[in-house]
Amino acid sequence: MKLQNMFKKTNRKNRAVSSQVRPEVPEGLLRKCNKCGAAIIAEDVREGNYICPKCHGYFRVHARRRIEMVTDADSFEEWDQELASCNPLHFKGYEEKLRSLQEKTGLKEAVITGKAEIEGQPVVIGVCDGRFLMASMGEAVGEKITRAIERATEEKFPVILFACSGGARMQEGIVSLMQMAKTSAALKRHSDAGQLYISVLTDPTTGGVTASFAMLGDIILAEPNALIGFAGPRVIEQTIGQKLPKGFQRSEFLLEHGFIDRIVEREELKEVLGHILRMHGLSDKKAGEEKQRESIQQDGDTGRALGKCDRQAQISAWESVQISRRKGRPVGSDYISRLFTDFMEFHGDRYYKDDPAIIGGLAYFQGIPVTVIAQAKGKSTKENVEHHFGMPSPDGYRKALRLMKQAEKFRRPVICFVDTPGAFCGLEAEERGQGEAIARNLFELSALKTLILTVIIGEGGSGGALAMAVADEVWMLENSVYSILSPEGFASILWKDSKRADEAAEVMKLTAFDLKELGVIEKMIPEPADYTDENMDEVCEALGDQIAVFLEKYSEMGAEELTEKRYQRFRKM
Amino acid sequence: MIGKVLIANRGEIAVRIIRACREMGIETVAVYSEADREALHTQLADEAVCIGPAPSAKSYLSMEQIISATVTSGADAVHPGFGFLSENSRFAELCEQCHITFIGPGSDIIRRMGNKQEARNTMTAAGVPVVPGSTDPLTDAEAGAKIAEKIGYPVIVKAALGGGGKGMRVAETPEEFEASFNTAQKEAQMAFGDGTMYLEHYVRHPRHIEFQILADQYGNTIHLGERDCSVQRNHQKMIEEAPSVALSEELRSRMGDAAVRAAKAAGYVNAGTVEFLLEDNGQFYFMEMNTRIQVEHPVTEWVTGIDLVKEQIRIADGRHLSYTQQDVKITGHAIECRINAENPSRNFRPSPGTITDMYLPGGKGVRIDSAIYSGYTVPPYYDSMLAKLIVHAKNRKEAIRKMRSVLGEVIIEGIDTNVDYQYEILNHPDFVSGEVDIEFIEKLCR
Repeated sequence: MKLQNMFKKTNRKNRAVSSQVRPEVPEGLLRKCNKCGAAIIAEDVREGNYICPKCHGYFRVHARRRIEMVTDADSFEEWDQELASCNPLHFKGYEEKLRSLQEKTGLKEAVITGKAEIEGQPVVIGVCDGRFLMASMGEAVGEKITRAIERATEEKFPVILFACSGGARMQEGIVSLMQMAKTSAALKRHSDAGQLYISVLTDPTTGGVTASFAMLGDIILAEPNALIGFAGPRVIEQTIGQKLPKGFQRSEFLLEHGFIDRIVEREELKEVLGHILRMHGLSDKKAGEEKQRESIQQDGDTGRALGKCDRQAQISAWESVQISRRKGRPVGSDYISRLFTDFMEFHGDRYYKDDPAIIGGLAYFQGIPVTVIAQAKGKSTKENVEHHFGMPSPDGYRKALRLMKQAEKFRRPVICFVDTPGAFCGLEAEERGQGEAIARNLFELSALKTLILTVIIGEGGSGGALAMAVADEVWMLENSVYSILSPEGFASILWKDSKRADEAAEVMKLTAFDLKELGVIEKMIPEPADYTDENMDEVCEALGDQIAVFLEKYSEMGAEELTEKRYQRFRKM
Repeated sequence: MIGKVLIANRGEIAVRIIRACREMGIETVAVYSEADREALHTQLADEAVCIGPAPSAKSYLSMEQIISATVTSGADAVHPGFGFLSENSRFAELCEQCHITFIGPGSDIIRRMGNKQEARNTMTAAGVPVVPGSTDPLTDAEAGAKIAEKIGYPVIVKAALGGGGKGMRVAETPEEFEASFNTAQKEAQMAFGDGTMYLEHYVRHPRHIEFQILADQYGNTIHLGERDCSVQRNHQKMIEEAPSVALSEELRSRMGDAAVRAAKAAGYVNAGTVEFLLEDNGQFYFMEMNTRIQVEHPVTEWVTGIDLVKEQIRIADGRHLSYTQQDVKITGHAIECRINAENPSRNFRPSPGTITDMYLPGGKGVRIDSAIYSGYTVPPYYDSMLAKLIVHAKNRKEAIRKMRSVLGEVIIEGIDTNVDYQYEILNHPDFVSGEVDIEFIEKLCR
């Protein structure tokens, strides 16, 4: 039965005449989302970090509000508040435009700079305000940012800049262009002084700002779905006469292409910034070292006694090869989650791509900030496909090197986990210079002015492994292997028969025992029979103790002595 | 004067409200989701406004859509029914800001009574007995265990913002406490985004007794007697009746006084319900106050002769209560059975679908509130309640006989219902003798 228009309606004769105030929506109570078009309660937007509660789209945030959102209450002290542009090219109508914007926004210029605290840690902060000529960078913006960076260099503060900008300011022409060089130069000095710079990219970050301070962060964060690029999408479309693909020049695209470290949701931004600052903070580093020293004293000088690896009971080399490749064997991410705390992954090589075969980032090891880099195999076929079966591309080695250089700058130890059948073999890998990338790592790591430890946890396949093993010490798990190439490859080259891999394995000297004897590695870490992530705690306990001892042992060694020792380590081979 | 009411709800309660408005000469505006185009409430109202897609988060829970629909349709009041936005203080506040009369208490009262801890504190201050429990919000199991020791086991862990049985766990012994606390907290965090918990002494074998309250804006507050809602499954009521066999005249008067005191302490206005747990020794404890019309309101209407929805509208319109406490006389006995689209033999799995044929009985002392009709398709998106069968007779025994007769006549074809299950309960010796507590159904299922 259909019920359309079958019922009688209310008898209107009885209708009372309403005398009260007619219902209406007061101005400003509701607003429309400019992303999904839905009506939303304005207060929800304000209190919800300026995110649409319906579509989760991000609204642009005014500079002052942004400062409130990411810094501790009442900690912000503004610098150079009165500094304004003075129309260097005498552009007609520009001064009137500036005046009206100053009145409308209450800002003198398109950036606010100053000092503040984030979760109790002092930082110099600069935030662009898109309402002011799309936060384009004229002389005032460039000057304010430069002054802030200079002062941070002098007073030894980290810098955080929130980019949100159309780029250069057309009305100031060549003077605007020069701001790109000026701000970049100031950042170079800040960096050379060993200070941290975090760049946060918000929608939109384009043109001359992208091509200067925005892309120079030690760590570059971005809000989701922000437009980030040099040339604007419309300009590109007109130039090449093609439609651009969906998601082009958005944060996620840049992450995939290796240009940003992390995409951070707005709700978590303050926490993430606080976390990064803490990991770079001196006070915590010291505290960590002390804590570590204590724990070592408790355990005795050499940590818990390392179990013995018994050669007699040792299985054949070929069996080791098979165990090292076995499904279910713990992978890099297992070690990261068990040995470290607060791991924060950073992405990208800053050239072309983020390689999923290598994961790396910052973490605490027993309270000490360290850089951790692992060649990443997966635990299932699906995960393995995602991680390219742990075979890094040139982009992966370049990411690893970038993170190690960062560690060098901030004098953090580097801990690498090697587990790869070999470097990725393929067209794109060669196009982007697989050989060059590996060579570059050997070259740079040999003299990296910070401590490096490499632990081979599974397969140590050739140059692909060595590119992360030019270290002060190299350790191996009992049943991991490290070799010039796979036994199958070895057999097929020398004997034209890959089926003789088992024989090859015996003669190649690829087991931890052989390599310890040869002096290629320093330590063997015993592992239980049938080693999986379920019984890896005992291994990690022993390994953790050894790492603690290792860090302590080298803690007093200067960079020169360290690199000399590392040089000699390979020189004698 | 309220001249046009928008009903921010669906199903039988929307129909119930439309009928009350129509009798009062008030025009009605229904709101409906895309899945409810053919629903009875959509068709029955004078006007109907589509407020979004089927999922309730995008339609019946969308405050913005409902406010917009109210303003554009020219309605001057909103009746929220039960569920959905009915106890959402934010929605009530938005109505206030837009000069829309919210048919219910003010937003501040909803907010205060919605926070269980605050409600408890209010009641304790007003001398209304509450179950011994924690006074301060708890966030970790260790602190909780200490308080549990003081309160006395068994204890129940509840979410401060909870409801509907979510974020609730009983710990019988101190050994069980930590696990119970953590599970409840995890659930609360997921369901309400808040892990603030509180603890109570767990009252064994209690009855659920609730008192209907009416209060106008001028401080007049009365109660309309109790409802016994002890027959429930997973904290969802199945059968409600008035009056309760467990209350003597003296106890009724004491509990009624406590209920009125509770409502007054809360500054309550409009229709509301004060829920108590009644122990077999006659000790009763305040549980919570529901700041809306209840599903089971018809049983009270029948034994008192008072139309609660009409009273709600009158009170919201600023009028004085039409009754004093002396006017309220409880006559006879009423029972309500909730008929749901669900399959009791498959763990009460919901059973949406098209009703191919149906027949609902009538006769003296039989009232059926429903929104179904032959050919109606029960959508899968909402509550599975199809109809409420309510009977009234001069005493409980006759009311039970009448309900059995009614249940025996109901025919709903095409979907599964719990009619037969209800019929069994009505024949169960414990139910017939009135020996039920809130664990009755649980025991029955075992």
